[in-house]
Amino acid sequence: MSTLIQILSPDFLLREALVGSVLVGVVCPLVGVYFVLRRMIFLGVALPQVSAAGIASSFLAYRLLVGNHQHFDLSERVLAMLGSFAFTLAALLILAAFERLGRETVEARIGFTYALAAAATILFVAFDPHGEAQMVNLLKGDILATTGTSLSVLATVYGVVTLLLFAFRKEFLLVSFDRDLAVVFGKRAGSWDALLYLLIGVTISLGVMTAGPLVTFGFLVVPPLTARLLTRRMTTFAFAAAGLGGATAFAGFYCAYVLDLPLGPAQVAVASLVFMVVATVRLLWRRAT
Amino acid sequence: MTDAPALALRDASFGYDGRLVLSHVELAVARGEFAALLGPNGAGKTTLLRGILGLIPPLTGTITYGVDRATRPPGYVPQRDALDAIVPLTAFEVVVMGTYARLRALRFVGRAQRALAHASLERVGLGELAQEPFWALSGGQKQRVLIARALAAEPEILLLDEPTAGVDPGATAAIMETLVRLNRDHGLTIVLVSHQLRLLRPHVRSVIWVDEGTVTKGAPETMLAPEHLLELFGVHGNHE
Repeated sequence: MSTLIQILSPDFLLREALVGSVLVGVVCPLVGVYFVLRRMIFLGVALPQVSAAGIASSFLAYRLLVGNHQHFDLSERVLAMLGSFAFTLAALLILAAFERLGRETVEARIGFTYALAAAATILFVAFDPHGEAQMVNLLKGDILATTGTSLSVLATVYGVVTLLLFAFRKEFLLVSFDRDLAVVFGKRAGSWDALLYLLIGVTISLGVMTAGPLVTFGFLVVPPLTARLLTRRMTTFAFAAAGLGGATAFAGFYCAYVLDLPLGPAQVAVASLVFMVVATVRLLWRRAT
Repeated sequence: MTDAPALALRDASFGYDGRLVLSHVELAVARGEFAALLGPNGAGKTTLLRGILGLIPPLTGTITYGVDRATRPPGYVPQRDALDAIVPLTAFEVVVMGTYARLRALRFVGRAQRALAHASLERVGLGELAQEPFWALSGGQKQRVLIARALAAEPEILLLDEPTAGVDPGATAAIMETLVRLNRDHGLTIVLVSHQLRLLRPHVRSVIWVDEGTVTKGAPETMLAPEHLLELFGVHGNHE
């Protein structure tokens, strides 16, 4: 109990890391809901990897064109953000274009994207030994290095993403559930898809920058899958996913702090444990009734 | 009310991937008409329906509606299998989507839209199932919920893609009874894609026949006459 009080104290040393990881835990599932609805869950694996490749490429490009960059400088985070966002958005738009053309299967496209991004990340880092330390931090999850400034950026951007997801939820639901009906109604389905992809791209880029690809993928997918088991209506689906994400991110932080575990993996493990418990209870309940 | 047809196609051609499926279609559907869109498998029925709905652009020609499509879009009922069961929705939430037709961005579903959705569900006889999960309903009930969704858009014309496919006879009769009532009592223009000739024969006022890239329209007595069906299908008029 005293540990919990300590964690919740305003003077807590890792307060930025706690708030940052809970923000990732709340907002990533709001975006992840659309991954589940559109059966694009594997995209949740590929895109954070693409984002990591974007960060590595931006460091390499900077070194080749300008020179060595300073670690832990604000410009380094801006550089990483630009690379991450550019790669993620480009990958989303290319994948969406291929989806419209209907060439190959979704799994093939996403599998290819993941393989290419993973290989590119390693190669970019290998070409840029100076960026390696930062990349290793990112791949592990750099949430403990969250500063007041980066937390403000995260809160502002995620706040805007949440507002837009709420404001345009009927349009996003319509194009995700029945795109043909959206077209029949004269809605600009392509524009709504593009806006949704933009929000997904921003969320993933910032999530990877803040918490690393593992945590971002985990919170994009696991809380929405758990919420899907608990809710029967769309209205509560997104709220339940965000609530579960925030709660498991906090519980994961608590476990990591108390048991001295790596933060990101502990948070994803707690979220996964909750999913397994809910799935098991639901299965037993169904068999009993 | 004008004498303009509810739907008119002039010299319209449709196709996919550079392949022409239907060419130079001339077709008019009068207001209040109940028309069946029939033809062999792969003849282009769905292509024609999707073209009429604006889901595929015409390669040539024009499609005009009797009303302004921007303010009064057509009611569309897809095959229920075209929708993904992963989305958690109640029957009511599915029907409310029909009201999005007239709701601009940043306008939320309000009391008027909820009332319209409830009234639409009542019109198809499923008011008591409003809060049931959509995917837990039977095939026939799902199809009627989708009809209610189309009605919630307050359309002048209803276009349905095989609403009775894979549905048991009792549910099929309920769907047809609903459509006949909507056409007779509310003057709704209906165009329905189906394979079930015997089922449609007593209800429809015209048959749109799609075959070998062409579209012809006529009275059911002519189009569904045994000799005509024998010529087209090699079967008699009791074809299901």
